[in-house]
Amino acid sequence: MARGFMGKILRVDLTAKSVITEEVDEKIARKYLGGKGYGVYLLYQYIKEYAMRGISVKDMDPLGPENPLIFMTGPGTGVPGFPSSGRHHVMALKSPLTGSIGSGNSGGTWGATLKFAGFDGVIFEGASDVPVYLSIVDGKAQLRDAGDLWGKNTFDTTRILKKAVGRKRASVMCISTAGENLVPMAMIMNDDHRALGRAGVGAIMGSKGLKAVVVAGKEKVPYAKMDEFVPVSKRCLEAIENNPVSGEGLPAYGTAVLVNVINTAGSLPYKNWQTSVNPDAEKISGEALAEKYLVKKGSCWGCNIACGRITSVKSGPYQILATEGPEYESLWALGSATAVKDLAAITKANHYCDEFGIDPISVGSTIAAAMELNEKKCIPEDDLQGLDLTFGNAAAMVEAVWRIAHKTGFGKYMAAGSRKLCEFYGHPELSMSVKGLEMPAYDPRGIKGIGLNYATSNRGGCHVTGYTIAPEIVGIPEKLDPLATEGKAQWAKVFQDFTCVVNSTVNCLFTTFALGAGDFAELLSAVTGWDYTDAEILKIGERIYNLERVVMNRLGIDGKDDTLPPRLLNEPLPEGPAKGQVADLDKMLGEYYKLRGWVDGVPTAAKLKELEIEL
Amino acid sequence: MVTVEIILFASLRDRYRVRKTVVECDGTTRNLIESAARRLGKSFLASVYDSDKDKVRDDLIFAINGRNIKDLKGEIELKNGDVVAIFPPVAGG
Repeated sequence: MARGFMGKILRVDLTAKSVITEEVDEKIARKYLGGKGYGVYLLYQYIKEYAMRGISVKDMDPLGPENPLIFMTGPGTGVPGFPSSGRHHVMALKSPLTGSIGSGNSGGTWGATLKFAGFDGVIFEGASDVPVYLSIVDGKAQLRDAGDLWGKNTFDTTRILKKAVGRKRASVMCISTAGENLVPMAMIMNDDHRALGRAGVGAIMGSKGLKAVVVAGKEKVPYAKMDEFVPVSKRCLEAIENNPVSGEGLPAYGTAVLVNVINTAGSLPYKNWQTSVNPDAEKISGEALAEKYLVKKGSCWGCNIACGRITSVKSGPYQILATEGPEYESLWALGSATAVKDLAAITKANHYCDEFGIDPISVGSTIAAAMELNEKKCIPEDDLQGLDLTFGNAAAMVEAVWRIAHKTGFGKYMAAGSRKLCEFYGHPELSMSVKGLEMPAYDPRGIKGIGLNYATSNRGGCHVTGYTIAPEIVGIPEKLDPLATEGKAQWAKVFQDFTCVVNSTVNCLFTTFALGAGDFAELLSAVTGWDYTDAEILKIGERIYNLERVVMNRLGIDGKDDTLPPRLLNEPLPEGPAKGQVADLDKMLGEYYKLRGWVDGVPTAAKLKELEIEL
Repeated sequence: MVTVEIILFASLRDRYRVRKTVVECDGTTRNLIESAARRLGKSFLASVYDSDKDKVRDDLIFAINGRNIKDLKGEIELKNGDVVAIFPPVAGG
């Protein structure tokens, strides 16, 4: 087996309660790396197998036993000196929120610790009739009863399992209330506050009766060429430290500092995207967070960026003495989208999201959609059950988060996500989502490239699929005018492909502020012993993105779904520096498809052949 | 002369202990920063302006009425009432 890998993947049949160990397929790892790439390859194998067994993935219940849940690390994960590589990736064939592919990436220590325990990944199939958890310690994996853990929140579950394993450096990944309640926007948490956040992967885990996976071990990840790796690693770590964004901006203020940046650009969605200039942005900004509630910085395993924020609200109705965040996206979704300007309330709601394991982006956006439905008097009072969902009502926002996680009162309507909520009340156009996944905190009417990325992102309304904010706002690697459409198709494609490499390596996207494909090629070559070039690295990324698209096509998703909410296409921004602008998707999508080699959202046979994708 | 509002963010706000200041200048960015430096301290000029290249420092986000100066075409001429937002290198996700 190539270096960088532990060489073993666990396959767990939860129905049969069996655990077997399989070898990592070296040829597949060479072509797809690990993480997302290897996971996408495995998902396609399920599609082929199900086709032979007569199971239609189009009609498959995402919360049924046929939906596999795959956790993967990559060749960079857990390698000391490989930049920001404590991460892991999750893939599921079908998201309960979107019906598209389920995908997520998390930091913390779990990914690295899984490798120290002796494994590169874990595949879960079937569903258990009783709650269970998987213990992976020093190369041994055992399914154990989780009856006493079911019903416990993220922090209790984490503490209890770490104690049970008896290792200081054990790491726990688990679901909480929302996952157990099969809320379609439930997260899978790890290390208390890190999350596989989007597309409802926590509900899939809940549907399998799988409460947690605890890992611990002392193995070391093997290197292929230590003499080559050390200088490359040193250079890359220095590049990250010397980069003004990853070495100065992110460590000093975390992601929250973007609130004022994006608001200044007139692209911080406000009141469910009715405008994108928030008059109270300062009150919920990174600067305000640092002044009022920041205790200290935090970092994931092996990371020299340290963008994490440890915070505390010392007193008042939203007191929470020890928590993390909120990050930029949470500040926006729970604050700006809902017009809530009470930073303590947002911090508390964000804590609830971690405690109960629920995606703050989708939750905040869904509450914002409910507020607009309520503003337009589309929700009967009886349904609301006394919940005053008025824009700016901090108490109602916090209460709504709790109710969604627990599926009580009006929370059970909102728990379905904004698309189903808005369809139910007769206004599907008020759901600010793409492919059913709520969009994050950048309005494409003021930042055109990110709109193209949202529309074509495989998992739905997602910014980290292709973060064109880097060139359009931050100016990395070069400055692009956010209001221009020219050239954005190429940028979106390259960012999407490169991000697939990062998510398959697996390390942190933030390293790409300082590192490029050439750096990844050198790092991965030294670790694995395979000689990658930068062109090959980008081709691997493109291969992964295309195979993921093929999987989605089998689920019935194609060009008709590569679009944006009508508000962004038709309603010009009413104010700010992007006043009068719409998303202009039609000016970019054709060129994007052409560059991709896709017809109507479907990769052509020629493109698949070029990328050596065998179906 | 024109009157322009400058808003500082993040570490620039911490360093110069001011969120917002209004200054008079001749309409050029250099003169704007020089005028502000007279109020905020000499180091402000070097923090924001690259005198060697005679332009705003490349690593900053310097926005005039919300538009990044790097995205504005032609010669920059500040007008009465313009708002200039200055951010140190930052990002998020």
